[in-house]
Amino acid sequence: MSETPKLVLFQCQWCLFAPADQEWVDTQLPENIHLAKVPCTGRINPLYLLNAVQSGADGVMVSGCLPEQCHFKTGNIAARRQLEEFSDYLNHIGYEQDRIRFLWLDLQDRGVIQKELAAFEAQITALGPAHNLATRVAETVGGANA
Amino acid sequence: MSGFTDSNALSERVKAIPGGDMLMMCYSCGTCTSKCMIQTKLESSYNPRRLIREAVFNMDDAAFADKTIWLCTACDLCYPACPQKIHISGVINAVKALAVESGKKTPYQVAKVDELTCVACGLCVKICPYEAISLVEKRVAFRGTIPVASVDQGKCMACGMCTAACRSTSIRLAEDYNDAELIDTLLSWLGTERVSS
Amino acid sequence: MVDAARQPLIEVKTFTEVEKVEGYVGNFVVTLREKTKYVRADRCNGCGACTKACPVEIPNYFEMNLAPRKAAYIPMSQAVPLIYNIDMDACIHCYKCVEACGALEAIDFSMEDKLVEQEIGAIVVATGFSHFDPTPMTEYGYGRFPNVITAMEMERLNNSAGPTNGALIRPSDGKSPKQIAIINCVGSRDKRYNPSCSNFCCMYAIKNALLLKQMHPDTEISIYYIDIRTPSKGYEEFYDRARESGIRFIQGRPSEITEDPDTHQLFISSEDITLGKVIEREYDMVMLNQAAIPQPDQNHMSSVLNVAQSPGGWFMEYHPKLRPIDSPTDGIFFAGACQGPKDIPASVAQGSAAASRASRILHSDSWQIEPTVAVVWPDRCVSAKGQACGICARACPYGAIDYTKGLAAEVITAKCHGCGACVGECPHDSITQLHYTDAQVLAQIRTLLAVEPEKKILAFRCQWCSYGGADLAGTSHFEYSANERGLRVMCSARMDADLIYEAYRLGAGAILYSGCHPQDCHYITGQVVGAKRAARLEKIFERMQMSPGRFRVEWISAAEGDKYARVINEMQASLDAIPEDVLKAEIERLRPEMAKKLTKLDEIPGVAQALVQVDFIVNEMVGKEKVA
Ligand SMILES: Cc1cc2nc3c(=O)[nH]c(=O)nc-3n(C[C@H](O)[C@H](O)[C@H](O)COP(=O)(O)OP(=O)(O)OC[C@H]3O[C@@H](n4cnc5c(N)ncnc54)[C@H](O)[C@@H]3O)c2cc1C
Ligand code: SF4
Ligand code: SF4
Ligand code: SF4
Ligand code: SF4
Ligand code: SF4
Repeated sequence: MSETPKLVLFQCQWCLFAPADQEWVDTQLPENIHLAKVPCTGRINPLYLLNAVQSGADGVMVSGCLPEQCHFKTGNIAARRQLEEFSDYLNHIGYEQDRIRFLWLDLQDRGVIQKELAAFEAQITALGPAHNLATRVAETVGGANA
Repeated sequence: MSGFTDSNALSERVKAIPGGDMLMMCYSCGTCTSKCMIQTKLESSYNPRRLIREAVFNMDDAAFADKTIWLCTACDLCYPACPQKIHISGVINAVKALAVESGKKTPYQVAKVDELTCVACGLCVKICPYEAISLVEKRVAFRGTIPVASVDQGKCMACGMCTAACRSTSIRLAEDYNDAELIDTLLSWLGTERVSS
Repeated sequence: MVDAARQPLIEVKTFTEVEKVEGYVGNFVVTLREKTKYVRADRCNGCGACTKACPVEIPNYFEMNLAPRKAAYIPMSQAVPLIYNIDMDACIHCYKCVEACGALEAIDFSMEDKLVEQEIGAIVVATGFSHFDPTPMTEYGYGRFPNVITAMEMERLNNSAGPTNGALIRPSDGKSPKQIAIINCVGSRDKRYNPSCSNFCCMYAIKNALLLKQMHPDTEISIYYIDIRTPSKGYEEFYDRARESGIRFIQGRPSEITEDPDTHQLFISSEDITLGKVIEREYDMVMLNQAAIPQPDQNHMSSVLNVAQSPGGWFMEYHPKLRPIDSPTDGIFFAGACQGPKDIPASVAQGSAAASRASRILHSDSWQIEPTVAVVWPDRCVSAKGQACGICARACPYGAIDYTKGLAAEVITAKCHGCGACVGECPHDSITQLHYTDAQVLAQIRTLLAVEPEKKILAFRCQWCSYGGADLAGTSHFEYSANERGLRVMCSARMDADLIYEAYRLGAGAILYSGCHPQDCHYITGQVVGAKRAARLEKIFERMQMSPGRFRVEWISAAEGDKYARVINEMQASLDAIPEDVLKAEIERLRPEMAKKLTKLDEIPGVAQALVQVDFIVNEMVGKEKVA
């Protein structure tokens, strides 16, 4: 019996141009993937990642728009700079870099998010569960930023 | 509706603002409307083509009441797609500037600074893509006269980048979307049993 | 073409390029490159054994690369003459074709291109148009999404002699498409690519949709458009029929096509303008109705033929309304889309008209030209005295002046269109123009400035544009200063510096130097010559410290009556801004300087001599054998 990894998907609300893809993400996401929709990847506070990681997420995917296609001009670039730096830090303290995946989607992409998620899941399954940083359970500690 | 050559007419005033000058060239092909995702994702009445039309026909009231002026984030996805090379966000912004001038305010949320905790580090000032934040000297209750971040309501597009950058959680967008809710649902989901197959 | 080739009086020369055109109306000498086919026309019987034997396969250009062809091939089944051809770029020299041809010995690898010279009376240019390649419009995915095709590809796919024998299939999987979209104005009416309307594609979209619907009644067809343009007789009725038959017309220019990477289904996102809503619809296949653009070698052809191009690159007609078939060069005519995109009825009409215009030349022993031609006074031309010059030949937009050092320059009268560029440029006043001799123009200047010259605005206008603009200002009752005194020459290129200096010497208050906008010039590049001279004069007058506003250069079209009036009024205002005594003092100060520039003024024949000069010119012309 193999364990299905728990994945968190932070999705910028603009990055899926095709309505069908957005609908899939909104309604048909596999049970082991949690959707956290944000107005822009630039909106993602590193604390979000920290909370996810500390609470036992096996992998985190951040999907946003291509650099020149950001709805808020530079949100995706700022996000990439801030979150990549933060993931370096997480890597340093034991949360492998391969568990965090940044995805840039083109306006014209269609059916890409499904494939990317599947590939990511396979990658995380191969890595196995992420235990080292899962220092707390949600029931006992409230959200740091709540 | 006023005449076309009246310099007080909306179209003329829009033309006079840099970026708004090309508006009369629009032939209403609709490319910008479908390139922009706001109509399909956020607000079904959103329509840059119609806003340009309202400006061309000097329909001040309709244009100023149009949600389009407050929601365009000047991402300029539509600009390179326009066959008439019209800088659409330039026109929209020109109409918005005139709306603000006539006393209209955005019906949408903007970022709010918690002046009791803001340390005036300026991180948000640097990251804001709309140059909406500045540091101002201000009298703050319990803290005396100190510098704090201040948001220009006419410029903020509610992207939330400032909230992600702020290290003292002093700036936030409270309505529609908030950190607490996101983290709460995330944590409660992670607290559930692992799915086995 | 097969019909034309059967006509005994028509010689069809295919696979032949025009290399050089010399001579003039009725007397052209055209150099043709007859490209070799490596197959001898007198021996090939069209059996096709070589094609069967050839092992090379390359994409077939005629089939829009939707099918392969061999290196030994015929371009298409209706080729004239029906002779096979070896594509040397693709050939691998295996000589299997030679073997297959056998005893006929029609294939000859030693053949070479032939250059032939031919005497031609008149030329009809009918080189047509080319097609915009939509690859750069990444939003439509052409080249990446297999089921996005162009109109030209559809034309082949839907043709019973085409690569699929007329079976309508989509490229990705060979299935027959049930939902087809046509997108209009792809690359046309688009300032990023071609700003103009391609004229026939709306009708083509409708025709194609109807045709598809007739042959495959179960297909659904949508046409995305900005505007549907059906201006000719019967066209709107055709549009009605299309709507009646259920073809969906969607007003809204698509912004994006996306593709399902697994099924290759296509999704078009557009606004439906009438609903004000963004819609996404799914299609099996999308046809891009691409813009008509000038031939890739249009610039080259325009210099070979010495005909101008309109903005956009199409060949430019002599006059858009009154002489739409003639080129600016006598004896060269346009037919069809090479002069601007047009559909078959319009192309055929223009073709017939061009043929009859051309036959007028073939059937006449003499040819009437505009009487305003240039003539050289051989005894004044410095070239005849051994000096290197040739300025006139360089200025002539038509190449109508023969210049050889040591001989007097000579105008080929039949080629001359009478712009007067050479006359304006010749620094030795050795060349003049019938009806616009220096004497005649000077006489006008002197008369116009006879009384109170310092109050006058002397306006040099060109016959075609600014004169028309002034005319329009008058007929439209646009008021302008009554101090304006207009004077007409054929082209701004004729506005000789001497004439301007003389007018200032005589005390003119202000001078307007005006002509056509560059793209409107009636004489190909006459305006360019005029504009360069005007720029020189502006510098000279600046150095002379002439008050600003006394010399003004403006390009005014015949439709810009308002501009003409405005310019004159502005000039009047700047003239009024100079106090009278200051102006008079300036005129006196500059008078000797102007006179210095006019050392040859004494040599310019006076009014009294004009008639003598005209006689000279007429004798000169009548005596010329060369006149066709
Ligand atoms: C997809 C499509 C569908 C269309 N359908 C219709 C329709 O249904 N009805 C309609 O009325 N119109 C239609 N048109 C328009 C029609 O094609 C044009 O009106 C017509 O072809 C113009 O004819 P033409 O002889 O001027 O030019 P072309 O047809 O382009 O012919 C020019 C010829 O000159 C040759 N040539 C070019 N340069 C040289 C050179 N330097 N030396 C020697 N030869 C040269 C070319 O090889 C070509 O054979 C359609 C156009 C397109 C693109
Ligand atoms: S894309 Fe350009 S021309 Fe078309 S409706 Fe928008 S602004 Fe007007
Ligand atoms: S610039 Fe404004 S109208 Fe254009 S796509 Fe961006 S948000 Fe939409
Ligand atoms: S929400 Fe975005 S636009 Fe508004 S102040 Fe913050 S960074 Fe600037
Ligand atoms: S004819 Fe129609 S399809 Fe063609 S460019 Fe003009 S408007 Fe567009
Ligand atoms: S410019 Fe005048 S002088 Fe020179 S070659 Fe021509 S006609 Fe002779």
